[in-house]
Amino acid sequence: MAELWVWITDLGNSKMLALILFMSTFIGIVIYLFAKPSRAKKFETYRYIPLDEDDSHREPTARRDQTESEKQ
Amino acid sequence: MKHESVETNAGLLIILTLAVISVGGLVEIVPLFYIDDTIEEVDGVRPYTPLEQRGRDIYVQEGCYACHSQMVRPFRDEMLRYGHYSLAAESKYDHPFQWGSKRTGPDLARVGGKYSNEWHVQHLIHPQSLLPQSIMPAYPWLATNALNYSDIERRMIALRRVGVPYSLTEEEYQENVERFGEEHARMFHIPDAQDMLMEQAQAENFDGDPSFISEMDAMVAYLQVLGTMVDFSEYDYGHFAEFR
Amino acid sequence: MSQAATTAGAAPAASVATSEQYNYAIIKRFAVAAVLWGVFGMAAGVWIASQLAFPFLNFDIAQITFGRFRPVHTTAVIFGFGGNALFATSYYVVQRTCQARLWSDSMASFTFYGWNLALILGVITYMMGITQGREYAEFNWQIDLIILVVWVAYFMVYLMTLLRRNQPHIYVANWFFMAFILATALLHIFNNLEVPVGLFHPHSYPLFSGVQDAMRQWWYGHNAVGFFLTAAFLGMMYYFVPKQAGRPIYSYKLSIIHFWALVFLYMWVGAHHLHWTALPDWVSTLAATFSILLLLPSWGGMINGIMTLSGAWDKLRTDPIMLFLITALAFYGMSTFEGPMMSLKSVNALSHYTDWTVGHVHSGALGWVAMISFGSLYHLIPRLWNVNLYSVKLVYAHFFLATIGIVLYITAMWVAGIGQGLMLRAFDQYGNLAYTFSETVAFLHMPYVVRAVGGGFFLIGMLIMAFNIAMTIRSGIKAEAREAQAESAAPRTA
Repeated sequence: MAELWVWITDLGNSKMLALILFMSTFIGIVIYLFAKPSRAKKFETYRYIPLDEDDSHREPTARRDQTESEKQ
Repeated sequence: MKHESVETNAGLLIILTLAVISVGGLVEIVPLFYIDDTIEEVDGVRPYTPLEQRGRDIYVQEGCYACHSQMVRPFRDEMLRYGHYSLAAESKYDHPFQWGSKRTGPDLARVGGKYSNEWHVQHLIHPQSLLPQSIMPAYPWLATNALNYSDIERRMIALRRVGVPYSLTEEEYQENVERFGEEHARMFHIPDAQDMLMEQAQAENFDGDPSFISEMDAMVAYLQVLGTMVDFSEYDYGHFAEFR
Repeated sequence: MSQAATTAGAAPAASVATSEQYNYAIIKRFAVAAVLWGVFGMAAGVWIASQLAFPFLNFDIAQITFGRFRPVHTTAVIFGFGGNALFATSYYVVQRTCQARLWSDSMASFTFYGWNLALILGVITYMMGITQGREYAEFNWQIDLIILVVWVAYFMVYLMTLLRRNQPHIYVANWFFMAFILATALLHIFNNLEVPVGLFHPHSYPLFSGVQDAMRQWWYGHNAVGFFLTAAFLGMMYYFVPKQAGRPIYSYKLSIIHFWALVFLYMWVGAHHLHWTALPDWVSTLAATFSILLLLPSWGGMINGIMTLSGAWDKLRTDPIMLFLITALAFYGMSTFEGPMMSLKSVNALSHYTDWTVGHVHSGALGWVAMISFGSLYHLIPRLWNVNLYSVKLVYAHFFLATIGIVLYITAMWVAGIGQGLMLRAFDQYGNLAYTFSETVAFLHMPYVVRAVGGGFFLIGMLIMAFNIAMTIRSGIKAEAREAQAESAAPRTA
């Protein structure tokens, strides 16, 4: 274990290790996102989650219109 | 509704996130505890005496670290202004470290011995009387507040738990005598702490009033020891560079 | 007022349904607390900035000297204003995007009282001189324990709500909030490992000393910036920017990439606060390398936010809330460029310990954190009370005051920091130091005055916001009372 700590404190080693870790994670994510077109498409549908709320028609300005239509 | 997969997703998110955020901290922090050359071997660095430690507590309490660093960097201007750059060993008994992050006032890592006790007392009571352009607040209450040292043994026991070699037994005391010399080892003996604190305050008489142990006594005692423990004339020029 | 009157008629059915579906009561409390802490914390900031310009303002009173009052400012704005705003928006976002009610009303309520109690105790104890002396973690050990319990409750409420969701996918905003909750727990626990002097003694001594303690503190300090002040507010951004723009986020794939990259990279960079210190070189060089890499995910987030508005830029002309949100992203981009630059060891040699750092922090804190929170609160509060904002003109006034304030602040700090840095390293023709430290302090006076004025502008903006919000809530409460009256009157006439 002690040898590992010594090895890691050599900047040449820790830099390399960190870069490999980072690049492989990053490439993994990119592959995950883009490899399957259907998955990529699915992800883009999630963009609409905040806009798909069930009660969004009750926002203040919208509600005023509703009131007026109810009056009619 | 695929309830199982829903649960695993939230769990998976948590596990993956924890894994990813742990890497950086582990690689950078853990080795610091295991590598020998993180902290250099130097002679002279010792724990603080009871009075100095109480002064340090007041330094922390007043938030001095908000404006003063205790870390001289290895640059020519800092060497001329403050002295030899700070070594890791010099803060090895500092719980907490007070390296600071901002110099609204000058660095204090080597302020010890640069000014007289009288200067420090006057400066803390009314900084602008000595340095008209200073923007430091005045600390007149330090001179009038009696130092509370009733809990000094408990404080030293807590510090002992985190690794400061204050002694409780005769055996530990003898070890300290060997390590730090008798004059200092006496100060580090917890059962005698109150007497030692009073003795130092009266003997060195930091605030000019030997009958009254004020917070000022402790504060000045701490400021006067900062950066004085290592005698740099004993080491060759460039000796410490190999640890950087 | 007339708007509130017209809304009165239709409200009963709507508000009953909403309050049953979602726990809005808890969000209302956090939102109001955020505004109150904002006013207090920013006032404290202007006060300590004035003390640096005019030191007589310390008045020789121990409790309000700069050293004791600075943590009051930082705690009130980061954990009071920022923290309460995050609780409010995260509870709102998780309910809306999961389409599920918040888990356990009583636990959620506990997080509100626990968190704010801890902060109030913190402010009082700092002024009494009880502090750990660790920047942004000054709370003493008993308060640390309260915070820990509150945080576990927060985690539970958040997780259980996620598990109850009626929406198969967890929206990306919640990822950021979850990462923030997890990382903050980790940071808080590790940075506060300490041995108390006694069970009823306020003081404790940290487990580590010197170089290890320094590394631990700045690992904490920078990740408090990374996860508390960045990741969490990106969560806010990922909900409120699309919502206010009425358009979906620019790219969901980009949000996933930049989430993981940001979360991974931030944890490495803390040691850039310790360049040229007694910390071993390999750590600080590694931290500098990762700081540069961090620019990529940071700008990924900024681009994703700003491009959401692509094709609808005209909204910036008509919607002051959008102005707040987009300006926040612009400042986020700016300070995440400045940060990596300052983490270069050669730049850091000049900038560190000077006011440049303070300016950098505030371009992030005022420009990014506060602006995105203002925008989100202006969006959120009228919806919570089911009324329109009291005055849109005052939102404009707030926006311009805040922007002028930030520009004054940052510029003054650039002048102060770079100026002092250059003076301190200047030599005369004989190789002696050209300036004493006192001479550089005298030079700082004008920048400090300008900084206090800039902070003053920002504070006035905050006061205007508090007034605007108070009037909005008042009309909301009035409208609700009228509705209740109408409802109780209705059965009799029928």
